[in-house]
Amino acid sequence: VIIQGTDRREPVRDSADVVIVGTGSGGGTLGAYLAERGWAVVMVEAGGFFRAEDFTQREEDAMADFNGRRGLDSTTDNALFLNYAEAVGGCTVHYWGDSIRAPHDRLDQWRTMHGLDWMTPHDLEPHYTAIESELGVHITEEKLFNENNRLVRAGCEALGVHGEAVPTARVDCIGCGWTQFGCAYNRKSSQHITTIPRISKSGGRIYADARAETLLRSPDGRATGIEGHFVDRQTKQPHAAFRIDAPIVVLAGGALGTAEFLLRNTQDRVVGRRFYVNPHYFVWADFGRQIDNVGGIPCAYVVHEWRQVRRDARGEYAGGGYIMLSNHQSPGIAAVMLGGAGKTSTERMRAWRHFGSVMSVIDEDHPGRVFLGDDGIRRTEFRVRGVDALKAVDFLQNASRIFLAAGAREVIIPDVYGTVVRNENDVRTRIGLRSVQPNAQFAAGSHLLGTAPMGTDAADSFAGPTGEAHRIPGLYVADGAALPGSVSVDPSLTIMVAARWIAAGLHERQGRAGS
Amino acid sequence: MASSTRDNDAQRRGTEPLLISRRGFLRGTAGGATAIAVVAVLPAGCSAGYPQAASDGVTLRTLTPKEYAVARAAAEAFLADVPVQPSAVAQGIDAELAIAGDPMRTDMKTVLGLIEHLTLLGGRTRRFTALEPAARLAYLDTWARSRFNLRRGAYQALRGFVVYFAWTHPETRSLTGFAGAWPERFAIPAYPVDYGEIA
Repeated sequence: VIIQGTDRREPVRDSADVVIVGTGSGGGTLGAYLAERGWAVVMVEAGGFFRAEDFTQREEDAMADFNGRRGLDSTTDNALFLNYAEAVGGCTVHYWGDSIRAPHDRLDQWRTMHGLDWMTPHDLEPHYTAIESELGVHITEEKLFNENNRLVRAGCEALGVHGEAVPTARVDCIGCGWTQFGCAYNRKSSQHITTIPRISKSGGRIYADARAETLLRSPDGRATGIEGHFVDRQTKQPHAAFRIDAPIVVLAGGALGTAEFLLRNTQDRVVGRRFYVNPHYFVWADFGRQIDNVGGIPCAYVVHEWRQVRRDARGEYAGGGYIMLSNHQSPGIAAVMLGGAGKTSTERMRAWRHFGSVMSVIDEDHPGRVFLGDDGIRRTEFRVRGVDALKAVDFLQNASRIFLAAGAREVIIPDVYGTVVRNENDVRTRIGLRSVQPNAQFAAGSHLLGTAPMGTDAADSFAGPTGEAHRIPGLYVADGAALPGSVSVDPSLTIMVAARWIAAGLHERQGRAGS
Repeated sequence: MASSTRDNDAQRRGTEPLLISRRGFLRGTAGGATAIAVVAVLPAGCSAGYPQAASDGVTLRTLTPKEYAVARAAAEAFLADVPVQPSAVAQGIDAELAIAGDPMRTDMKTVLGLIEHLTLLGGRTRRFTALEPAARLAYLDTWARSRFNLRRGAYQALRGFVVYFAWTHPETRSLTGFAGAWPERFAIPAYPVDYGEIA
């Protein structure tokens, strides 16, 4: 059963074998695994429950309805817009469906540096296979390539750059183009149409508009449940209280939600200390003709050529450290991203249908942090600095080269200096570090990770390799917060796989909890 | 296709001025605390000094008349030949901030106060709302290109609000050619989903 908490005016007390905070990639996957194996599952979700008919696919509605902090959240210096969702289904409601497996070198790193011995391609294979099957993951069909995707591919082919069609989590996609505002046709395999119905029909109870606030603990420190309040869906103001008792508590509210809950309930110094976002910068290219840049799916093509950092003989940074995703955006968001003011801004928006675009997913070396301000409000700091700034510049240069090779008249670096490039000389001389200084252009982060990481070193991680907290028995983390760092590609599939592995371990060790 | 040696060197030397700025933006940072303190001692602006909201017939929800006037003046500056009234943009900002709450509300109100009164930083002696639209844009550009992250952050916040509320307006579709979202145009049924009971 799915309970609309925004309508609740009476207190609720419930109990289960496991209570899961958050219903996205991690929570939905873990909840479905356990619910279908006989566990009594209760889930709480701070955001609302939306169905296909609720998705108008208007950007202003989507931002207000289910983007975190109404689509207005940013780092404290406003330099990075933080893109995440609060809704039943979590970030999968607005994600693009890109479903890329974690690269083997990243799994190697996590095993070596964090002791996560189970993160081998062999051990994860059955979990990847199961999830990819459940979500209908497949290589994007050619018919869903819009002109922007085709141009990015053409530019890559002209330069001999490695890219490929994206594995996507969709079934019979009709290519309306506005997947990030919620799929109005139930074709994108978001958690709210895949795992959540399965949990509900297996006897699970999913409370929407329910903000978890307090971790309940026994005298010996073990997690025993949670308390919180139902909130008004629009204003987020609290009304009726709820309490869920369960011997196992799983946090899956995302890197921000999980960190905030832990910061309010523990003194654990590891929480929020590392905050990965995979910084996104955006390049726009004017092709001087109307191109279909908003049909199909936003990202049918990914550029892998520069995923790994290259170093010269002296060990100095020599390029790379990011992937590129094809990108398209609706008018309001595009206006923010494109930069410019007055007539420049208007001229760019008049040419909106002429623009191709790609975005970076920077595999950062320097994470930020999540903390509670003196006023008690959750805040974030993140500075693209050091080698990460060099990666951003390298991205802007190589993205420009791809579009120029594809025939763009000019490429817009949407910084406050009005940088435009038309040839290789411009690429080398006009694009530099000033373009990626904080607030010199719109930048964003949407792969939020690492704020309560797993690892074997209790001084450097919040949870052990099983997902259970080092210092609070019965408390687990199973979302992006639990990953020890950037995945270097879209992390949603890896979050699901990790959550399924944690769920399988729980079930294997405990059988049906409480029985 | 690597970054230039010049950039590598600049990064190592830290000579890019904005990269060495450690100041933050608004609440939670030293620069922000100062900014809020500055705005706190500035006059709030009574409706007599800032008649724009009254003349627009607007009942404000969270912005003061002064803040509304600054938002409206910023919209006049940022939006050239855009078929959306600056008053509609300012009203949109007021309505959104009333719902969004903190930290966004306090940050944005601080930005509006700073933009109005720190015109001396841009070489002007008159308040922002008293400048001609072209002069306002030139003044805002000094914020955009400032060596201080705090000022650039304020610019990006204000610009972002203004252009977002303008270009989400359906009237702008005549300029962009945006045909509108599919649910507005086509009746395509969604695949059915059985959620079980919904209470």
